[in-house]
Amino acid sequence: MRDFWKRFARNKGAVIGLGILIAVVLLAALAPLLYPDSPWRMVQRPFLPPMEMDGFWFGTDTLGRDIGAGLAHGARISLLVGIVSTLVALSIGVTLGALAGYYGGLLDDALMRFTEFFQTIPNFALAIVLVAIFQPSITSIVMAIAIVSWPPVARLVRGEFLSLRSREFVQASVVIGQSNARIILTQVLPNTLSPVIVMASLMVATAILLESSLSFLGLGDPNHMSWGYMIGAARTVLRQAWWMSFFPGIAILLTVLALNLVGEGLNDALNPRLARKGR
Amino acid sequence: MTKGQRAIALAMAAAVTAAAGSALAEEPKRGGTANVVIQPEPPGLIMGLWQNAPTQMVAGNIYESLLKYDQELNPLPSLATEWEVNDDGTVYTFHLKDNVLWHDGEPMTADDVVFSVTDFLAETHPRLRVSLEHVENVEALDDHTVQFTLKQPFGPFMGIFEVGSMPITPKHIYEGTNFQDNPANNHPIGTGPFKFAEWERGSHIHLVRNEDYHVEGLPYLDEVYWHVIPDGASRAVAYENGDVDVLPGGSVENFDVARLSELPNTCITGGGWEYFSPMAWMWLNNREGPLADKRVRQAVLYSIDREFARDAIWNGLGEVPTGPVSSKVRFYEPDVPRYDYDPDKARELLEEAGYDGEEIRMLPLPYGETWQRWAEAVRQNMQEAGFNVSMEATDVGGWNQRLGDWDYDMAFTYLYQYGDPALGVTRNYISSNIAKGSQWNNVQGYEDERVDELADEGAVAFPDEKRQEIYSEMQKIIVEDAPIAWLLEIEFPTIYRCDMKDLIQTAIGVNDGFGDAWLDR
Amino acid sequence: MGRLSYITRRLVKGLFVLLAIVILNFFLIRAAPGDPAQVMAGEAGASDEMFIEQLQERFGLNRPLHEQLFIYVKGIVTLDMGWSYRQDQSVASLIGQRLPATLLLTGTAFCISLMFGVLMGALAAARVGKWTDSLITTVALIFYATPLFWIALMAILLFSVYLGWLPGFGMVSVGAGYTGLAYIGDILAHLVLPALTLGLFYTAVYARMTRASMLEVMEMDYVKTAKAKGVAPGRITRVHVLRNALLPVITLAGIQAGQMIGGAVLTETVFAWPGIGRLMFDALLQRDYNLLLGIFFVSSAMVVLFNLITDLVYTFVDPRIEVS
Repeated sequence: MRDFWKRFARNKGAVIGLGILIAVVLLAALAPLLYPDSPWRMVQRPFLPPMEMDGFWFGTDTLGRDIGAGLAHGARISLLVGIVSTLVALSIGVTLGALAGYYGGLLDDALMRFTEFFQTIPNFALAIVLVAIFQPSITSIVMAIAIVSWPPVARLVRGEFLSLRSREFVQASVVIGQSNARIILTQVLPNTLSPVIVMASLMVATAILLESSLSFLGLGDPNHMSWGYMIGAARTVLRQAWWMSFFPGIAILLTVLALNLVGEGLNDALNPRLARKGR
Repeated sequence: MTKGQRAIALAMAAAVTAAAGSALAEEPKRGGTANVVIQPEPPGLIMGLWQNAPTQMVAGNIYESLLKYDQELNPLPSLATEWEVNDDGTVYTFHLKDNVLWHDGEPMTADDVVFSVTDFLAETHPRLRVSLEHVENVEALDDHTVQFTLKQPFGPFMGIFEVGSMPITPKHIYEGTNFQDNPANNHPIGTGPFKFAEWERGSHIHLVRNEDYHVEGLPYLDEVYWHVIPDGASRAVAYENGDVDVLPGGSVENFDVARLSELPNTCITGGGWEYFSPMAWMWLNNREGPLADKRVRQAVLYSIDREFARDAIWNGLGEVPTGPVSSKVRFYEPDVPRYDYDPDKARELLEEAGYDGEEIRMLPLPYGETWQRWAEAVRQNMQEAGFNVSMEATDVGGWNQRLGDWDYDMAFTYLYQYGDPALGVTRNYISSNIAKGSQWNNVQGYEDERVDELADEGAVAFPDEKRQEIYSEMQKIIVEDAPIAWLLEIEFPTIYRCDMKDLIQTAIGVNDGFGDAWLDR
Repeated sequence: MGRLSYITRRLVKGLFVLLAIVILNFFLIRAAPGDPAQVMAGEAGASDEMFIEQLQERFGLNRPLHEQLFIYVKGIVTLDMGWSYRQDQSVASLIGQRLPATLLLTGTAFCISLMFGVLMGALAAARVGKWTDSLITTVALIFYATPLFWIALMAILLFSVYLGWLPGFGMVSVGAGYTGLAYIGDILAHLVLPALTLGLFYTAVYARMTRASMLEVMEMDYVKTAKAKGVAPGRITRVHVLRNALLPVITLAGIQAGQMIGGAVLTETVFAWPGIGRLMFDALLQRDYNLLLGIFFVSSAMVVLFNLITDLVYTFVDPRIEVS
């Protein structure tokens, strides 16, 4: 563990990223304390510019809602959607990839065709269609993001399984008659964890971008304040009120950046062989 | 008054002065081009086939009907110059102009009118179909006289001859053909002041002056370009840059209106919508859940700060309605119970009704930012008064289906009232109009026997004093029952260059406005 | 091994994938609430049962689903994408009108990002560990993390609203009626901001990938040998490293070329660019079945096509790859 941290900390960017990420998580966690009012509440006059009034450092929007409250509460949705959709995508991708890589043959063929199929459909377009069809809500957004982001996981895991499958320790387990399920879960899978974790951290970042893009197009969950929604709602008043789209954009940028930096740090720490090559 | 609203008030004052000035002395000038925004691109220009707003807006300058209406909804001559009604209000006779030509040169006669009403529109125009149920017979007495015989008196009958409601369509082109697939649909032929010239899809529609127009000297303009610009912000920019001269109501987001009205030579008016008198409201599902209780519905009305929404979202334009009939519609009754913003009262009513915080599903109208913001504001108002509201996002397809299936608790909408309660109001309150699959009938499921009776009587009563009495009683009952949460009598602002004179002259505004408009340049 | 038979096999496979996509989308879009008849009735301001039935009859929506599917697939096989009832035009002509705008936008963005990305990546790799490298890596990372639609808005705000240098909306000036060179110049001016913002993300991706892949190749034996032999470093980079390091970049370029249609939805929305991405979004919201399916068909076909091209380019660039 100490080794891990040492290797991670050697990457300065990763440490900065971790710092930002912790700050975002804290913001999300403390949102109800920092801004006890609902972020939808119309608390001041509309179009209040930032820094003009105490307590409204980020200004207000078209209806007089506090942008600061939106930023804090929006952090929760971004992180939630990012993490949950990644978990769902991982569970699909890892399962299919593991089955394909471990059993090979016809199953592998079939599963890989299936994966390719999903990679052929333009994926942002597919996400839009899925959310529109099932009507925007947290669940439909999470599912749509998961459905378009699992294929790379499946390919990665399959690759790892293919190479691990022929290793001695796996062959040994086969010889002593362990069940396939047991081998997959206890022998092979743990050895694929490192690259999967690295990939997951990047997927969370991508998922946050996807969620904000969907919300921007008006396909967000209307009951939850989100950063993408804030930018989308600010678009029509771009000329009158730059701050309405500026701050949430910065929030997305920092969060996604932080996750990428952390991902690189994890890569350095977990895959020491590959470290220092950059990604 | 905010800065933006002050700007709008100034621009509106400028519009009034400009109009008054022109009425005094100025001689209209001939020539010039009008560049106008059309949003969205219409699917077709055959007015009888397409009842959507963009088609009406363009094709209203190509087609005509028997009458026009001034901004107080009084009938004006158009294809008909004179008309008479018999004493019991069942036989209407119209005398048509005898010098009217179709754009292809054929003379327009009474036969065209009969064909349009009994053949063409009866098949293609669902809204007119409802009014035609009162009509027993339409016949051409001679080439220039048409007689409508009604089954019984129908109070609003003189109000159905607006061009969008009854566009006169050429018999010689459509008789005996499949109306929807007629190749002539690519090239509309009407009798109006402008002829169709060209339509480059995705770019513009070009209309040119009808040299043979039946009113001497009209129109003043040489041509009208309708520009298709599929984005609100770009439309605003196009006006700022001087690329277009007219932004018809609804073509820019409300949040842009204040900024645009500060531009030089810019006038703004809420006029020209009197015939439609659009009213926005929330359907409240009267059938089930907490909203089945009258007190809860009243609480909804008390909980909403409708003045705030008008000022913050609609630039202070429009009136907060007092009941089902817009104040711009005939037989409006102001003396009804009021639901002024009063969250405490709303809370009391909720308590009295035993509302237990059950979730209420709200559907915003999926027509852009304005409506989305409005729904958010109303949801916030209601939540602060103790309602548990959850908003469900839908797109146009989903919204239509869920309303048609009554699968909602509250839903935003706006409907036209067409100047008369019998045309555009009672359809939403009578129990015989409760049927799935339409977004225009009694969607909320309101039933009241007395209202049914009054609505029936009001439509056929004669003369108007009688109708007023009936409709006043009806409005009082409906307001008390609060079957719907009325939000705003919308005034869609038309933004235009002040040197475009006489643009908004009738109750349908730009829809037939270019026939009279002229440029003072 | 014949390259031709390889191409044929890939093509056939691609066609099957395409067919599967068409069928999947056919059912997906019909799973959405509401149908085109309802949407159009909703726009009409009044409707009754007769009206909806007339519309459904015209659109063929009253037939059983499998029959509709059969008719559609039969059409697609003969490259007939049907009729858009909402727009009252054939799907092919609608797509034909909008596709050039999207191709212009995505093509420009593609070239910009490929050029700058590879250049930045190569530069960073050549100066690995130096400040140039750090600068490029950081910039690339920031581009990578920036939401496309947001940077687009900020660009409009800065270059269009405050500085007034470039137009921020649309593809041509409305009603300007330019012809000839002025017309082309007008389009180019409108193209700058959307193409740059759309290209930004992929510039970052290419830069990162080129850098990583070059560093990897530099460690390889033949490069070390060349170094030991005293070949000039510039020549090593150009001849040995870059050529091999570009392989993964080519793969990515193939994927990107196909995916850009989807990404263009956002850019086209922000800049009001009259392309196919925006058309798709509108078709989706209006339940314009045929139009939506047509757009999906065309853009998936492009993905398949670009994948094929990528594979082919691969076989030329890297002789080690067998075409079997």
